[in-house]
Amino acid sequence: MKLLSSAEQAVVNKDFGEIWNTRMARNTIIIVPLIMVLFLPVMYLLMIFFIPANQMNGVDQMMQMLPREAAYFSVKQGMFYIMTNVVCPMFFLMIPLMVSSVSAASSFVGEKERGTIQTLLLTPLSIKSIFKAKVLSCVFLSAVATGISFLVFACVISVGDLLLGMPFFLNWNWLVLVLLLAPGITVFGVIFMVLVSGKSKSYMESIQTSGYIVLPLVLLFVGQFTGLFQLNALILLVIAAVLLVVDFLLWFVSARSFTPEKLLK
Amino acid sequence: MYAVSAKSLTKSYDGKTNALNDLSLEIPQGSVYGFLGPNGAGKTTSVKLFTGLLKPTQGECTVLDLNPVKDPSEVHRLCGVMTETARMYGQLTGTQNLLFFAQTAGLSREEGNERASELLKKLDLWDARDKKLREYSTGMAQRLSLARALINRPQILFLDEPTSGLDPESAQSVNSMITDLANSTGTTVFLCTHQLRYAQDLCDSYGIIDKGKLIAGGSLENLCSNIGSRAKAAFRLQEGDSLDGFDYDSGWWQTELEQEGQMPKLLKNIVESGHDVYEARLVKPTLEDVYFEYLKHQEETK
Repeated sequence: MKLLSSAEQAVVNKDFGEIWNTRMARNTIIIVPLIMVLFLPVMYLLMIFFIPANQMNGVDQMMQMLPREAAYFSVKQGMFYIMTNVVCPMFFLMIPLMVSSVSAASSFVGEKERGTIQTLLLTPLSIKSIFKAKVLSCVFLSAVATGISFLVFACVISVGDLLLGMPFFLNWNWLVLVLLLAPGITVFGVIFMVLVSGKSKSYMESIQTSGYIVLPLVLLFVGQFTGLFQLNALILLVIAAVLLVVDFLLWFVSARSFTPEKLLK
Repeated sequence: MYAVSAKSLTKSYDGKTNALNDLSLEIPQGSVYGFLGPNGAGKTTSVKLFTGLLKPTQGECTVLDLNPVKDPSEVHRLCGVMTETARMYGQLTGTQNLLFFAQTAGLSREEGNERASELLKKLDLWDARDKKLREYSTGMAQRLSLARALINRPQILFLDEPTSGLDPESAQSVNSMITDLANSTGTTVFLCTHQLRYAQDLCDSYGIIDKGKLIAGGSLENLCSNIGSRAKAAFRLQEGDSLDGFDYDSGWWQTELEQEGQMPKLLKNIVESGHDVYEARLVKPTLEDVYFEYLKHQEETK
């Protein structure tokens, strides 16, 4: 059974073109991953290398965050470990969240703003097919951006690991993050935007609203720095499972609210 | 089977006022129906209800016996819809736009290419086929919208103000395309417009809608006889000459006729009574005359 009919495939291709032609969406899809997985980790690595540890503030507090299995690390190794396992996950999860929400904003709200949604609704495609094609195009785009970002990230961190003589960074935390949490966040970003699209009148307005969904992510990782809790694979697995259930439920809610009458309001 | 039918179709957006109120009509297949009314009368709302973009508050409608609420996709498969608010993709070229809509209508790539080329040539857009839509003029974009509505060879064409904003040449090209379609393929055309001169040239029957209510319907003859609008005999005489019982207006002596058949006898009588007739003409009421009479009558009734 084909995932998409030829007509749905046409909508997906058209959406890719439209998202890519929206300057803000294109910039976000390119620049956010570059900053999160290349620029920031490289800068941090350079800082660890070239600035003596005794000249940096808060190194002792950071070292206290090291788990038992990393207690034997040197200061430089410990700082790099913290970056890889505490700071970078938040940076990394920003990618599926931002890419999915800006793509969805362009695909759903942008189409409404440009006055083309009515034309699309007048095609023989069912409303369910339009919804499916649009959601999948955003999810696919976000998944590709996330996948490529992870490969780049893995390269950067592996170089750091080699230079600092540390074991390969990939652990259960990262596996849960990449294979479950990132897809869950991608779908959430798209569906959140679908729900917002009914109320947003412009692309920019919807992008501003999407800022709210970054907050829980920031709080989750700030919580770690303050010592409130320590995220491990199990907690991440639970969060991912909850998120996937929420995604599943929101998919139905948003699909039901995706009606011509609401879209043409 | 009617092409379009509505029974007590009512739509309210806010639950207080009805944008469309108790609309009932039946349009036979193959006819070119002019749906006339001022802005905000309910024409676009009606098209949206017939094409399943809106759900009626009360009543129901069918398009080729299909219910647009229950089966919008099938209705869209059989219909072509062109409205002022349904735009196409600015970043795609004319050809790409048509190919996209051909694909969504289930046409194969070859069929889509063939049909798109045919329509682009017919609507005088061939030379602009590889230009992006955002570079098109209003008239060209409007013609491309018509091409889009025709891509799936529809049995019914809903056109909401297809010539608004067009220069006379473009309007004429769109109108002749609509006439061709109706004559050669038997496509039913549901034309919403307030450009009454074009409507009179194109349509064989009409509905006049005002403030959400259908106030009259039928052929031009029916509309005329129902409102009591009659043909007039008009004569231009030698300067200084006059006719008793006739009204004088801009150099013409006019009188209303019970029937058009009275004209030859009337002319004969005037000539025989010694008047020099320079010109004689039978002035039939135009759609515009009838339309304004109905709207005036509606206001007076209130």
